[in-house]
This record gives sequence, C-alpha cells and structure tokens, in this order.
Amino acid sequence: MARKMSPKRKREAVAGYLFITPNLLGFLIFQLVPIVVAILLAFTEWDLINDPIWVGFANYRNLLKEPVFHLSVKKTLYFVVINVPVQSMLALLIAILLNRSIRFQNLIRTLFIVPWVSMAVAVGLTWTWIYNSQFGLLNEILTRVGLDKIPWLAHPDWALISVIVVNIWQFLGFHIIVFLAGLQMIPREVEEAAIVDGATPLTRFFKVTLPLISPVLFYDLIVNVIGTFQAFDLPYAMTGGGPGNATRVYNLYLYQKGFQFLRMGEASAMAVMLFIIIGITTAFFFRVVGRRVNYDLT
Amino acid sequence: MKKPLRLVGEICFYLVIFAILFVYLFPLLWQLSTSLKTMDEVFRGFSLIPKTPLWENYTTALRDFNVGRFLLNTILVAGLITLGQVISCSMAGYAFAKLRFPGRDFIFFLYLGTMMIPATVTLIPSYVIILELGWIDSLQGLIVPFVFGNAFGTFLIRQFLQGVPRDLEEAAEIDGAGYFVIWSRIMIPMAKPALATLAVMTLVSQWNSLVWPLIVTQADKWKVLSVGLAAFRLFRTIQWNTMMAAVVMATLPMIIILFLAQRFFIQGIQFSGLNR
Repeated sequence: MARKMSPKRKREAVAGYLFITPNLLGFLIFQLVPIVVAILLAFTEWDLINDPIWVGFANYRNLLKEPVFHLSVKKTLYFVVINVPVQSMLALLIAILLNRSIRFQNLIRTLFIVPWVSMAVAVGLTWTWIYNSQFGLLNEILTRVGLDKIPWLAHPDWALISVIVVNIWQFLGFHIIVFLAGLQMIPREVEEAAIVDGATPLTRFFKVTLPLISPVLFYDLIVNVIGTFQAFDLPYAMTGGGPGNATRVYNLYLYQKGFQFLRMGEASAMAVMLFIIIGITTAFFFRVVGRRVNYDLT
Repeated sequence: MKKPLRLVGEICFYLVIFAILFVYLFPLLWQLSTSLKTMDEVFRGFSLIPKTPLWENYTTALRDFNVGRFLLNTILVAGLITLGQVISCSMAGYAFAKLRFPGRDFIFFLYLGTMMIPATVTLIPSYVIILELGWIDSLQGLIVPFVFGNAFGTFLIRQFLQGVPRDLEEAAEIDGAGYFVIWSRIMIPMAKPALATLAVMTLVSQWNSLVWPLIVTQADKWKVLSVGLAAFRLFRTIQWNTMMAAVVMATLPMIIILFLAQRFFIQGIQFSGLNR
C-alpha cells in the first residue's frame, strides 16, 4: 500500500470506504466486537449488576460437571440425529418426485414452503393445539380409530420427538427447493442414457442420481446440522423446555442461564462451546463425508 | 391405447402430489378453521368448515389480547430493518464488487468468516450494548442491531453485481457520472432481482424472529407478535379460537408475500442452501 495512488484511484478508494461505512459500522458494533466480548465474558462471572469477576476457565469446568448441561447437550444431539437425516431424505424423495416437467410446478413448490415462511412461534402454537391431550385433533383421530390417546407434549417420553416432528415439518420445504435446484443441474442425457441401458428406477437412483447430487446433498446436510444445533423458537413456544427437562435444548438452556438466572459468564461460555461443537461437527463432515462426494458437477 | 393410459397415469400423479400437499398443509388449514369457530365448536365439532364463521375472534384478539399493538410493532420493525438492509447491503455490495480500496478483500474475508458463527455468540454482548444505551423497551433497541445489514446480504449483492459487465460503468464514467450516480442509476436497477431476494428473505426472517425481541422487550407496548404470542402458552385457560385468530394474523401476511414474490423466495433459498 506504500505505492502512491493516482488521484483517480484515491477517489475510488474514498468512495469505497464511504459506501461500506454504514454496513461496516453495523458489522463491527453488532458482530465483530460482540464475538470478541463473548469470548472474554466466558472467562468471567457476571450478573449484569455487579462488576464482572475474572474466573479463568471456571465456567467451562462447572458446565462440564453440570447434569442439566449434559442433558441439554444430549437433547440437542438427539434432535440433530433424528431431524437431519429424516428431513433431508424426505425432502430428497419429494424433490425427485417433483423433478419432471409438470404443470403447476411453481404452485406446488410454493405451497411446500408455506410452513417455512410461517412464524415458528405461531406454527408451534398451532401444533400445541393439534397435540392437545384432551381436545387435540391427533388424539381425536386416535380415539376414533380405537387407539389410546397419546400425551404428546405432556409426557417427557413424547415431548421431544413431538417437537422434532414439527421442526421436520416446518423446514421440509426449504430442503425440497435446495434439492430441486440440485436435481435440475443433472443433464437430461445422463438420465436418459441410464433408461436406455435398461436401469431400473432403483439402480438409477443409486448409480446415477445420488452420485450426481452428492455435492448438493452434502451441503444441505451441513446447513441442516448447523441450523438444527441452534433450534430455539419451536421448543420455546411449544414447551418452554418441559415437561421436566425433556425439551431443554442447548440454546433454550443458554437463554435461560443468561436471561433468567442472569449468569452471563456461563451463558457466554455456552455460546463459545456451541460454536466449537458446530465447528468440530462441520470439520468432521468435511473429512469423513466430504471425500466421498463427487465434485465433478456444480 | 397408449395415450389414455398415460393420461390416467398423469392424473394419478397429480392426485398423489395434491394429496401429499393437503396432508402437509392440513395443520395450517386446521389453524384457520379453529380461528373461526365458537369455543363450543372448538371442543366438540371436528369438521374443517365452521358452521358459521365467527369473525369476532379476530377483533377479540386485536383488542383484548393486544395483538393490534404487536402487529403494528412487527410491521414497523420488520419493515424498517428490511429497508435499511436493502440500502446498506446494496451500497456495500457495490463497493466490494466494483471498487478498489486497500483492505477490501481482508474486510470481506472477515465478513465471510463470521457468517458461520452461531447468532447466540453475539447475543449477550449485543444485549449489553443495548442495555448500556438505555434502549431496552424501545424501537431503536429492536431495529438498530440489524438495520445496517449483515454478511449474508452483502455477500448476496456482491456476488450478483460481480456479474455485471464493466462497460456499463465505464460508459457512465466517460459521461462524467460519479460513484453515487453509478450506484443509484446503474447498480440498483441492475441488482433489482438480487435486492428483491434480499428484501423478502430479510422481511420474513425479521417478521418471524423471536430471540432478540424476547430479550430486549418487557413491556407489552414494545412487544412484537412472536414475543406476544409466545406468552399465550402460559395462560391458564387457553381460548384456542382467539389464539388461532392471532396466529393467523401472524402468519398470513408472510404467506401472501410468498405468493406475490415466489420467484425471489426460491432464489433466496437456493442461494442460502447452495452457495455457501
């Protein structure tokens, strides 16, 4: 940068800085600085009222010893492990079904993303009503076909899976759109050649479609894992973490630690750990799965 | 003989698709149906069509449950943030794509680097900033942290503008146009599809967002719909019909916008799902 700039280049540079100023200010004040502050706060004990006290790694040590923290990690992993494969596979299946020149293609695609644009809190309340033990639609149907009622959100054994079902339902359309875009990148001739060779639909799926869509599938799974680790809105609106701790997922517990118990230090440590967990998972994905992905396309 | 058979197959195909869609969207139909029923019907009738639609549920929600106020706050907050993001991201996107200045690539790299960091990491420090500014329970507290734009939006606009050929700018420069004129007269019109994509993605995510408004508002006066509605769960006796009316008012605006701007939603999803 020591090189002297021509007046024209100088004007361009000044314009460049001016154009990014509002954006950069917002980025520095509400993104970059908070990231650094969060890392520092994680080393303190702070209740927002008294001055923060430096405690070193005590927050991390305490969290790792705390049963409810373990539980929230377990609940979140369960959430991810059920939600991600079921949601992505279901979406891929529907995308394959829709991937042909059909009428109403736009209408159908749009209808599938209606739940995705709907407010999670609103959707959560709707399902709370459908899941209602006494008067809910689901139990009414169960009763009519002669089955026992199920305490969907009211029982610890059922609550988490009931919330996961809603999560799968709400974001399914997002993944369908991603896969449809991926499928449309597969050249027609490849599929046709496979048909001419007499491949059955099943072989065609495993030998042609799946390898060709693997980069998209791979990215979708990563986006899905990262998103699901951060689940908050649905459990907050549907159960608030209960019954007991049945649905107390990671971010819900973090929120409660910070804003209900006012333990800002520990909550910050949780946030930093979430970042580390997500980072490790993503890196693991790239090393283990990423190698087998076919990058010829895209 | 072949043709009628194919027709039957095709009809079956559409029947299957629309059957799947009907089941898939049934929870939302049930929500709409409950919102128009009397409490008596809510507990007894299990038909999808209410006997006589009870529109009063909506006025009750608006008046007695403060939903009117929540709705107004949501419109203001989501609308202003969207406007701010479109302006700020189009400016920064233009600079990152087209202008040369020292540190440009480093700053952009920082933007990309923070995109993967979970939003909860910045939550507590941002809250402390708003607290120190005395902006708890205020419109500024809800809007300011997001109004300047974000990495995703800047990235989206930059990617789009990089595809715009240089001759357009050069022609304008020869005519003596300054950078501001190039931005407002050439870049903004060129970037319209990308800006529309950014606008709908921002609008929907802000309209629906819960965590931030939850921590920076306490008084009903400043609550947005997501926060106001979430509190419904805690009521001892729930009026399901009124609650569903409130829920419909929270979801319907975004569904209408989805149908008006389908194309941009699809593009936004493809960008966030494929271009990482």
